[in-house]
Amino acid sequence: MRVLVVEDEAVLRDNLKERLTESGFTVDVARDGEEGLFAALEYPLDVAIIDLGLPVLPGLEVIRRLRAARKSYPILILTARDNWQDKVEGLEAGADDYVAKPFQFEEVLARLQALLRRAGGWSTPQLTCGPVVLDTRAQAVSVNGTALDLTTFEYRILEHLMLRAGDVISKTELTERLYDQDFERDSNVIEVLVGRLRRKLDPEDTLRPIETLRGRGYRFALPRDTSS
Amino acid sequence: MHSLSRRLLVSVSVPLALFFGVMMLVLDTGFRALSERTMQELLDSQMVSLIAAAEPQPDGGYAPAPHALDPRLATPLSGLYAQIRSQLHEWQSPSNAKADVDFGPLLAHGERNTTYASFGHDRVAIESRAIQFEDDPKGQRTLTFSVAVSLSPYEEQLWRFRQELVGWFIGLILLLLITLAALMQWVLAPLRRMEREIHEVEEGRSEALGGGYPRELSGVASNLNTLLVGERRRVARYRDTLGNLAHSLKTPLAVMRSSLPRNAPAGPVGTQIDRMTDIIEHQLKRAAAGGALLGQAPVDVAQMAAPLRAALLHVYAAKDLALELVIPAACQFIGDRGDLTELLGNLLDNACKWCLGRVRLTAATDESAGGRLRLLIEVEDDGPGISAQDRERVLQRGVRTDESVPGHGLGLAMVRDTVELYGGSMSIGSSPLGGARFTLRLPGR
Repeated sequence: MRVLVVEDEAVLRDNLKERLTESGFTVDVARDGEEGLFAALEYPLDVAIIDLGLPVLPGLEVIRRLRAARKSYPILILTARDNWQDKVEGLEAGADDYVAKPFQFEEVLARLQALLRRAGGWSTPQLTCGPVVLDTRAQAVSVNGTALDLTTFEYRILEHLMLRAGDVISKTELTERLYDQDFERDSNVIEVLVGRLRRKLDPEDTLRPIETLRGRGYRFALPRDTSS
Repeated sequence: MHSLSRRLLVSVSVPLALFFGVMMLVLDTGFRALSERTMQELLDSQMVSLIAAAEPQPDGGYAPAPHALDPRLATPLSGLYAQIRSQLHEWQSPSNAKADVDFGPLLAHGERNTTYASFGHDRVAIESRAIQFEDDPKGQRTLTFSVAVSLSPYEEQLWRFRQELVGWFIGLILLLLITLAALMQWVLAPLRRMEREIHEVEEGRSEALGGGYPRELSGVASNLNTLLVGERRRVARYRDTLGNLAHSLKTPLAVMRSSLPRNAPAGPVGTQIDRMTDIIEHQLKRAAAGGALLGQAPVDVAQMAAPLRAALLHVYAAKDLALELVIPAACQFIGDRGDLTELLGNLLDNACKWCLGRVRLTAATDESAGGRLRLLIEVEDDGPGISAQDRERVLQRGVRTDESVPGHGLGLAMVRDTVELYGGSMSIGSSPLGGARFTLRLPGR
């Protein structure tokens, strides 16, 4: 998952980047509203965290312009003005949730994951497709109740595919979700990772959870179980 | 003496009553003096004609000739009586036949007097005069002439006069007081208008007093308006400053918290950060909460609730939420918009957090509370509800019944503080929806 953090306070920004990276996110950062707007428009993001009190361009304005540019990924606002008038304004501008400063990182993480699940059409932190169960909070995957041992990259790819189960996701998109813009992109890495995932999920080759659509990308093919 | 009208009425009617009392006394005295003089004149003229008519009688006494007698002296009990006496003789007028008037003692030569006496029910005035003829060395022929006149016609006249006097004066006083009351109504009308307009400002129906007051009051009215505007500005600035203070303290706190070593138990610094956060959240917010200001335009509840509903539906998009607003158009809150938004926002957020799928906000005006209109706000949900023993506890600062649900646990305490600031009340009960019901009673209209 690729997340943009727009925060003018350097310590907070660095801290968020560090901890989000540890939690399995690919993190872009921006220091002010203008930089943030540029990054938000240019990078292939899954979610953005935007502080409302930004220099150069206020957070509310960034959100409005993003939504005007038809960017539809979820936005979490950070606000020091913890009152409902500001929250309502932020949500009206197009944000999806808010966290009041000073926050606990765990709260930000929980809200982010909830937003991502919602964007993918999930309502619970556990994504279940057939026998495959992915717990976004614990970052754990099991098949038929047996826990799988996945690497960070394998988990990220599976989470991305399962969150949007049924949608076709291109190799480029997956690559961008795995690496910051600084890394050299190599689509072969994705093919290797998907191959390893397939073997771990489906050693007998009976489930076939991940489809390859030639020239278009991958799709998680198992039906969602939304009853849980 | 709490009413200007009453003060004026009393201060005018006391001298008025005194004036009229003295007037009545003077007129009464004058009238009595006049009637006494009339009576005296009657007695004098009767006396003179009696003396002139007296003739010596064969027996040595004196008596008037019957034809020369005043008809009233000839009629019994006519009210006019006469007597001629000497040591040896006595003559009574026929009118005295049954009245039996006691004319008093004989007088010595040259004496005269006027006395009063009672004959049965009748009071009379008696004039007596003694006359001695020169050829009477022993004084045996000193004659005492007495004339008595009944006082009752005079008294009757006096009584009638007094009645008329009192009647007229009472009428005049009433007329004066009515005129005075009407004048006061007119003079005090601007004061009453000011009172009404201040009341309207209090109720939030208008923002300031109107113009067009008379010269004596226009200064007061404009000063009051200046005060109202100044107060509103001052409070707005005060709130802004506090809001900015809270705001600018929170980012450094967030920085401090994020700089703490991770995965370590909360040290003293962490505890102090939490304390400071709590102080900012609670004390600063409470200080910034406005309360009702004079001349504040009322806030439409429905207008404030609609964007909150939209925002919360957005935040709780993962829940299949039915958030129902039941707010009549006329529901208005007298107070600060921000305060109402906080109240509704916190309560609705809390309800959305706990509900299974249904939240209902009901607002109504409640006229029962002592004439003054109250705004009744209820927020209900179909969640687990709050048990009776927890109800008091959840209103305390920093208490969360379920530690796994995020939040500072400050929302409900904040709501209670704000409600108390407005002189309202808050209670927790059970909703027919199945969960908790929060009821607020606030000033409104």
